[in-house]
Amino acid sequence: MPLETESRAQIRALIAEFRPNHGDLLATLHRIQHEYGYLSREALEVVAEQLHLFAAQVYGAASYYEEFRFEPPAAVDIRWCSGPACRARNGGGIRDALLATLAVQMNGQTEDGRVGVRLGQCIGTCELAPQVWIEERASHTNEVVGNLNAAKAVRLARALRDGATAQEVLRG
Amino acid sequence: MASPLERYAELKTAADATYAGWRTPQRPRIDVAIDTSSLANGARATRDAIEANISERNAVVDLGRVHGYGMQWLHPLVTITFPDGASVVYGPVRAEHAALIVDIATGAKPATSTLAIGTIAGERAGIPSLREHPFFALEPKTGRRLIHRLGFTDPENLDHYIATGGYHAAARMLDRHQSPAQVRQELIDSALGGRGGGNFPAGTKWNFLATAPGEEHYVICNADEGDPGAWVNRVIMEGDPHLLIEGLIIAAYATGSKGGFIYIRDEYPLAIARMEQAVRQAQEAGLLGEGVFGTEMNFELRVIRGAGAYVCGEETGLISSIQDSRGMPRVKPPFPAGAGVFMKPSNVNNVETYANAPMVIEHGAQWYLEYGTERMRGTRLFSFSGDIQRVGFMEIPFGVPLGGVIEACGGMLPGLQLKAIQSGGPLGSMLPAREVPNLSMENAPFSALDALMGGGGIVFLSDRICTIHMAEMFTQFVEEESCGRCTTCHGGNQRQTEIIRRTIAGEGRHEDRHNLALIDRTLQFSNCVHGQFSPKIVRNTLRFFSDEYERHSAGRTCDALECEGLIRFRITNQGDPRLAEAQDICPVAAITGTPGRRTLDEAACIRCGACTDVAPNAIVREAKPATPRLVALS
Ligand SMILES: Cc1cc2nc3c(=O)[nH]c(=O)nc-3n(C[C@H](O)[C@H](O)[C@H](O)COP(=O)(O)O)c2cc1C
Ligand code: FES
Repeated sequence: MPLETESRAQIRALIAEFRPNHGDLLATLHRIQHEYGYLSREALEVVAEQLHLFAAQVYGAASYYEEFRFEPPAAVDIRWCSGPACRARNGGGIRDALLATLAVQMNGQTEDGRVGVRLGQCIGTCELAPQVWIEERASHTNEVVGNLNAAKAVRLARALRDGATAQEVLRG
Repeated sequence: MASPLERYAELKTAADATYAGWRTPQRPRIDVAIDTSSLANGARATRDAIEANISERNAVVDLGRVHGYGMQWLHPLVTITFPDGASVVYGPVRAEHAALIVDIATGAKPATSTLAIGTIAGERAGIPSLREHPFFALEPKTGRRLIHRLGFTDPENLDHYIATGGYHAAARMLDRHQSPAQVRQELIDSALGGRGGGNFPAGTKWNFLATAPGEEHYVICNADEGDPGAWVNRVIMEGDPHLLIEGLIIAAYATGSKGGFIYIRDEYPLAIARMEQAVRQAQEAGLLGEGVFGTEMNFELRVIRGAGAYVCGEETGLISSIQDSRGMPRVKPPFPAGAGVFMKPSNVNNVETYANAPMVIEHGAQWYLEYGTERMRGTRLFSFSGDIQRVGFMEIPFGVPLGGVIEACGGMLPGLQLKAIQSGGPLGSMLPAREVPNLSMENAPFSALDALMGGGGIVFLSDRICTIHMAEMFTQFVEEESCGRCTTCHGGNQRQTEIIRRTIAGEGRHEDRHNLALIDRTLQFSNCVHGQFSPKIVRNTLRFFSDEYERHSAGRTCDALECEGLIRFRITNQGDPRLAEAQDICPVAAITGTPGRRTLDEAACIRCGACTDVAPNAIVREAKPATPRLVALS
């Protein structure tokens, strides 16, 4: 058994209600990611103990899903909609413009950790196509920016890169 | 001890009182539609502005909440209900309209306004009934069946559900009105088919579970709704969450299940929140948990939040995802009724399938059979998107002509022609506009064309899109979402994507068609339907858009000017003052030089289109001139 540190105890308290063999793994991982923004190695180990699984099983399952991350997230993510209605209106150009502006890959983030671009799936707000969502961790913002074009996407990415908050770009 | 119907009557009396006060309020009330689409369109800002305006003026007006009707292109929607019971819907209502809306509510301004769309209850001179809007032309003349509560209840209020007839079917069934076998038979008689796409008879599937060995049975609701362009399950969960719970109670009773799961995709946080809240409300009211409606029936229902994996929508993938492992589909049989969650007999149905059960049990199979076609009974929800005038959802009987749907959706946006119909999601199909006269809203006419109607989402694509480019989106999707268990699927999809990508890059080869067909045949040997259906869109494209494909592959031309390798951007007007802006916006600094002498570096250009967005008259997107190629002599 690894040493019980303060951070492990905190994680353990956070997930104390979850039980082994009870279909609780996804809920446990969501709880941790919501709190810490990502799943650290330490957290995966604590989850394994709590749910009576091997850490490798927990990582194996977690890494299967698009949503779980194993590195701290960017302060703001631009979630790009990959759906058909968005794609039909130069969604591909918007994606390329975002990635080029920030010099990142899909699901990557700028070196300073300020802005990331993540693959998004259609949520049925296609009347606003093409669109992205702005997700800011600190302010719990999650808002759609619709009726985009590539030029607007460049401006949006530049503003965030240069330090604007989600609220500022959403208002502008 | 009170019988289920007595308990129900008690709940109903209290609910009726609450709901009557809401339907015909003493003070006017403004309901802002709050659902995912409304919120994306700024409903929260609208609501905040109205709230601020009310308190600023001390207006005698209440503020409430509903779900939208389906007219998503008019969001944010606001409904004003007057003390005489008349309700008028307005939209799109933005924050700047707050004062006007409050004025209308107080009577300071007349109800007629350019924002008025229609009445949903009572009458107001000069405002038509909302049902007369052409968008609803195909909906049942006798009114909506499945989603009749949308707009007429607060989806977060259990009393509203009960007052509008909710939980009566479950209570009566539990009141020894029907045995589990009778419930299943009613469902079989109604011919209710699975709404996840397959149309498998729900009652028959319930029989499999009911007759499975063991005491521990589970009902599982598939709310993974992964097909981009389909959001009808979301509408039910956000708009009428108790309807789904009642459907699951009926299913649990009919199949002898003590446990249930609703597996909702991670992308639907509001649906998750509303379902979780509704489950809590139902538990507190004694409708879930131990002793449902005071009977011997125990039913624990849980909401599981997915985490972004398309194949978790496949029922065995979903089951494995619930039980703490990678959500990978497995070979069937055994089917879920044989080996489901925790290896116990289980039944998986789509959200809409379960949500139909209460009305079948309440009104009987005969009533249910009134709508639909011989092969597909009842009504179903569809979501329509793409380059149509009216994006949204509606409930229509199976079998209505697709041409009628396009009309209800207002046709294509000005200047655009319909080119392709994309249905059934990434494992679905892409059909050309010329097939519209042969298509109606049921599976058979789609299957006849080697296509799939699917789970309710239809995307109308216009002539500004390239079908090869669109096909690439789907091949990439199915490749990325392949679980990786069988090499056939993940390898086959990699090759398929590679070929389509290469074609887009302007490097199509003569042998590609043959190889795509080979990949298609090979993919049929995949473990699950994901792999088996993954070449469908490319197959459709090669068949129905063969000319366009050949123009790309052999002709090196993309007429829609979308495929990156076949187009270029070129400066056409050095004198345009907006060129400076274009130079500035280019994310890769491909435009350089000084006014009058700017150049665009084609090699650096990523063809994102930002420059033409800002300087449409100075830069063109055009076909790349053909480079001489060596052609084999034959
Ligand atoms: C890759 C894949 C994804 C699927 N996704 C969904 C889905 O999101 N929702 C759904 O109801 N069915 C989905 N299905 C179908 C389910 O496996 C299953 O047939 C369905 O949930 C049964 O419910 P029904 O009979 O009520 O339609 C999917 C199937 C495959 C192969
Ligand atoms: S395609 Fe982007 S929201 Fe539907």
